[in-house]
Amino acid sequence: MLSIKNLHVNVEGKEILRGLNLEIGKGEVHAIMGPNGSGKSTLSYVLAGRDGYEVTEGEVIFEGKNLLEMEPEERAWAGVFLAMQYPVELPGVNNMTFLREALNAVRKGRGEEELDAVAFMKLIREKAELVKLPEKLLKRSVNAGFSGGEKKRNEILQMALLEPKLAILDETDSGLDIDALRVVAEGVNSLRSPERSFLVITHYQRLLDYIEPDHVHVLAHGQIIRSGDKSLALELEEKGYGWILEEEAAA
Amino acid sequence: MITAELQKSWARSLLEAAPSSPAPWLEALQRKAGEAIEQLPPVNRKQEAWRYTNVEPLLKERFQPVVSRPAGYEGEVPEAITPHRLVFVDGWFMPQLSDVALLPQEVTAGSLAEAIAAGDERVKNRLGSVAEPDAHLFTAINTALVNDGLFLHLPAGVKLESPIELFWLNSTDGETPRLAQPRNLVILEPGAEAVLLEHHLPGQGGHYLHNAVSEIVLDPGARLAHYRIQDESEQAWHFSRAALDQGSDSSYHGITLAFGGRLSRTEYETRFTAEGASCTLRGLYTVGDDKLQDFHLDVRHDVPHCSSREQFKGLLYGKGRAVFDGRILVARDAQKSDAELTNDNLLLTRNAEVDTKPQLEIYADDVKASHGTTVGQLEPEQIFYLRARGVPQQRAVHLLCEGFAAEIIEHITVEPLRDQALARLRKTLSQLD
Repeated sequence: MLSIKNLHVNVEGKEILRGLNLEIGKGEVHAIMGPNGSGKSTLSYVLAGRDGYEVTEGEVIFEGKNLLEMEPEERAWAGVFLAMQYPVELPGVNNMTFLREALNAVRKGRGEEELDAVAFMKLIREKAELVKLPEKLLKRSVNAGFSGGEKKRNEILQMALLEPKLAILDETDSGLDIDALRVVAEGVNSLRSPERSFLVITHYQRLLDYIEPDHVHVLAHGQIIRSGDKSLALELEEKGYGWILEEEAAA
Repeated sequence: MITAELQKSWARSLLEAAPSSPAPWLEALQRKAGEAIEQLPPVNRKQEAWRYTNVEPLLKERFQPVVSRPAGYEGEVPEAITPHRLVFVDGWFMPQLSDVALLPQEVTAGSLAEAIAAGDERVKNRLGSVAEPDAHLFTAINTALVNDGLFLHLPAGVKLESPIELFWLNSTDGETPRLAQPRNLVILEPGAEAVLLEHHLPGQGGHYLHNAVSEIVLDPGARLAHYRIQDESEQAWHFSRAALDQGSDSSYHGITLAFGGRLSRTEYETRFTAEGASCTLRGLYTVGDDKLQDFHLDVRHDVPHCSSREQFKGLLYGKGRAVFDGRILVARDAQKSDAELTNDNLLLTRNAEVDTKPQLEIYADDVKASHGTTVGQLEPEQIFYLRARGVPQQRAVHLLCEGFAAEIIEHITVEPLRDQALARLRKTLSQLD
């Protein structure tokens, strides 16, 4: 589904990703862990197409297409979704309007019929229930004045609505207490399917107790320096990142 | 630069075209305004209130004041939202196009000229008492040339269920541009309540000057919501000044949405005369290439325990320019005043320009007052967020602009008007690209 080969990315002239390789198959859940500054968020933004990330080398192929040549909205239509670490507030833009706009833009981009207001209302109620987002937050401005947990739930709501093929969760656990984390993880788990892949980016192992990965990778200095199964995450939790970085330095 | 000579000769050309005063009792006021014109300093950049507002091209044009009621009107009159519709052409009330039949008997809503001619005591007592005739050139001209406009009067305790809707339209003979200069007098007696909607539209006109002065008297406990949509033609000059006299516990909610005009100047002047009154002024302006939207507020807290809130937002694009000059004065005795003033501007292009000047003058020591202005651009993260959710770039910009404007529009309590306002905003946004 997603194939990243030798990806080099500069941000403001500084090389952040230095030859990253990653293969994600259909239906797989991959976790990327790494210390601060290792390039985790850069990876997620590059995949979503944010400005300011200069790819100097390498390629990203998503479902046979060159992802890096696509506009952010085209990536969304193709089925890439980034749940952001810091969801953006859109003052004055009603959340419901935003969600409907996004859904219909994506449906249109995928060559599907747009949903009318009645069908949308039915769908959004159902999905909001899934992530336990209070209905009153649908009537407010997007993310404006939302708590950290509400913002993340709103992200997962969007994910549930847009039904991506590849969902990237960028530090979705940051700033969440354990209850909020559980709700968010349950939402994510309910969206797991053989057709949908996940890339879960996180600093802590905690999230992976709830969202169980098939593969775990360690990102450091802009490269994946180790891959393994979920036991690697537990090992990292126990020993921290120090040992792995030392081993890498010694090698 | 505008000289005193240019200003005087321009004003005289308008005054000469006017017939004698419509009523002997009005002569003193009109004479006073006429004399003021001879004395007033020129409206040029040496005056703070005109520093960023260049009306020289206007003063180099000739206009024909419309001095009598047009016989008819060939154009279409837009559909009204409410049953109470008053139509004005070139500033004159058009009874045949209006419908006030469903208003309660005790309510007066109609022609100021008729009330003047009839020697209506309510008009005699109040006309010219709220708006200073010599505030500046344009109020002086309006006063010197008073003829028609709206006269609205609600007796004590009358609460209107449906809004009263005004349509300001223009006609043309294709030759000299016309000057419409309505004078409006609105009096709400104690406890009366009304909602007033105004649409300023080109009608058949393209190139014209609209110079309105409204005097609004709110007696104790009276409440008025006053929504204006200014959608003049692109060649039109629009001046509008609303002067308010607010009694105890009265409340005024004013919203102006300014979309049109070559140069549009909106002024509010609020005076609290007794405690407990509140005044909310809001505005939204959109302005593009070579146009100017100009707002001036003068809110005076002379007495204690009054509150005022001023919130204005502007969307500027192309080479659009805006001026915002908001002044709140809290006098020494006006303790426990509550005042908040904000002006936010969104510049969609590099060549757009805004001069914003909030002024808080506070002479009392126990007040709550704040002000803030911003001038900014759309946040790239916001656009990216929308695009990452599949919303195309251009649509993302529109949504964010709508969101920015929604914070004003959402305060319109009349839903169909709110929808109209949003539709009108979208029309502007759709022309941006």
